[in-house]
Amino acid sequence: MRVSRVHDIGGQTGFGPVPEIPGSQDSPPFHADWEARVYALAGVLGRRGLFSGDELRDAIESLPPDRYLSASYYERWLEALEVLVARKGVA
Amino acid sequence: MTLRPGTRVRTSSADPDHHTRLPRYLRGQVGEIVYAGREWPLPDDVARGVAAPRAETVYTVRFAAAGLWGTGRHTILADLWESYLEQDDGEDDGEDDGPQEER
Amino acid sequence: MTAEPHHHDLPVAARVRRLEERVIAAGLASDGELDEALARFYARATPINGARLVARAWTDPRFRARLLADGSAAAAELGFGPQVSSYQLRVVANSAQRHNVIVCTLCSCYPVALLGPSPSWYKSLAYRSRTVREPRAVLSEFGLVVPEEVDIAVWDSTAETRYLVLPLRPDGTDSLAEDELAALITRDGLIGTARV
Repeated sequence: MRVSRVHDIGGQTGFGPVPEIPGSQDSPPFHADWEARVYALAGVLGRRGLFSGDELRDAIESLPPDRYLSASYYERWLEALEVLVARKGVA
Repeated sequence: MTLRPGTRVRTSSADPDHHTRLPRYLRGQVGEIVYAGREWPLPDDVARGVAAPRAETVYTVRFAAAGLWGTGRHTILADLWESYLEQDDGEDDGEDDGPQEER
Repeated sequence: MTAEPHHHDLPVAARVRRLEERVIAAGLASDGELDEALARFYARATPINGARLVARAWTDPRFRARLLADGSAAAAELGFGPQVSSYQLRVVANSAQRHNVIVCTLCSCYPVALLGPSPSWYKSLAYRSRTVREPRAVLSEFGLVVPEEVDIAVWDSTAETRYLVLPLRPDGTDSLAEDELAALITRDGLIGTARV
C-alpha cells in the first residue's frame, strides 16, 4: 500500500491563519517538557547512528494521513521515533 | 550534466512511493537555474538505506508563482537535486505546436 | 517487534518516558546524555548568532559580499563553523526592490544554531502550505506589509541548504556600533516575517 505523503502541503489552501504568532519573539521552543525530551532523544539517537535525518523525515512523512494532520509537531516526531526504534530492533 | 545559471529546466513529474525532496507543487514545472551548489547525497536513497547513496549537485531553481498556480507575482526558489531536473529546450508552453521558427 | 495496540491512549508524557526507557535499556543513550543534549541546545542556539552575521555585513561591505557568496564560509569567520558544518548556509539580502522570506514546506528545515529554536508557527501546517502560495497575506498576519512595488522571493529550504535573510539596515542607524546594530535584529527579521 502506498504511503500517502500527505506532509507535502506546499501550495495547498485552507489551512487557515498562521498560529501562535502573538508574542512570537518570546514563544518557547517547547510547549511541555515531553516535547523537549523527544527533541533530545531524536538528536542523541541520530548522532548514535540509529537512523539518518532522511530516515527520520521519511518515518514522519509515512504516518497515516489522519495522524499526520491531527498530531502536533512533536507528537509526529514521537510516533516516528517509536516506529524507527521498533524497526531497528531496539529492545 | 552541469546546469549553468540561466538554464531553463523542467522538473520531474514522477510521484515516487519513497521519500523525496521534490515537492508536489514543483513537479512537472518549468524553472530557471539560479545557482549550482554543492553535491549532496540524494535523500531518496539515504531514506531507503541505500548503501552507497548517489551524490548529486543540488541546484537553486527559480519558479514564477503565476506559472505554478495561475496567479501571484512572487517567485519561489527551491533547492533541487540534479535527478529531479532535465534541461528544457522546449518552446514557450502552449504557444507552439511545432519547431521553433528561425528568427 | 510490533507496536502495541492502543498506545495512543497513553498520556503522551508516559509514552515518551517509555521510549526513553527502551532506548536507555538498549544502551543507546543515558539520562545524562539526554539532559546534556538539551542544555547544549539551549545554550548555543540563539538568534543573537544570526544577528551578529547581519550586523557585521551592515558595517563591512566586503564581509557582506562574502556572506552572500558563501554563507557557511562567512559564518565560520565569526566562529560558527562547527554549527553550520552539516549544511550549506545561504544568506539572501532584502533590498528596496525585493523582500525575502524563508519556509520549509516539507518539514521544518531551519538554521537552529544561528536563529535559536524554531518557532511553532514556522513548523505549522498553515505557514508551510500558504507561504509559497500567498506570501503577502501570510506576512500581513505578522503585521508586515510589503508594498506592491516590492517583489517577494520565497525560499523553500532543505536540510542541506538552509537560509537566513539579510534585512535592510534601518534608517538613522549610522552612528550605532556593531553590537548595537545586532541588538536591533530579530529572529523574525532573519526569517523574513519582520522587516528587521
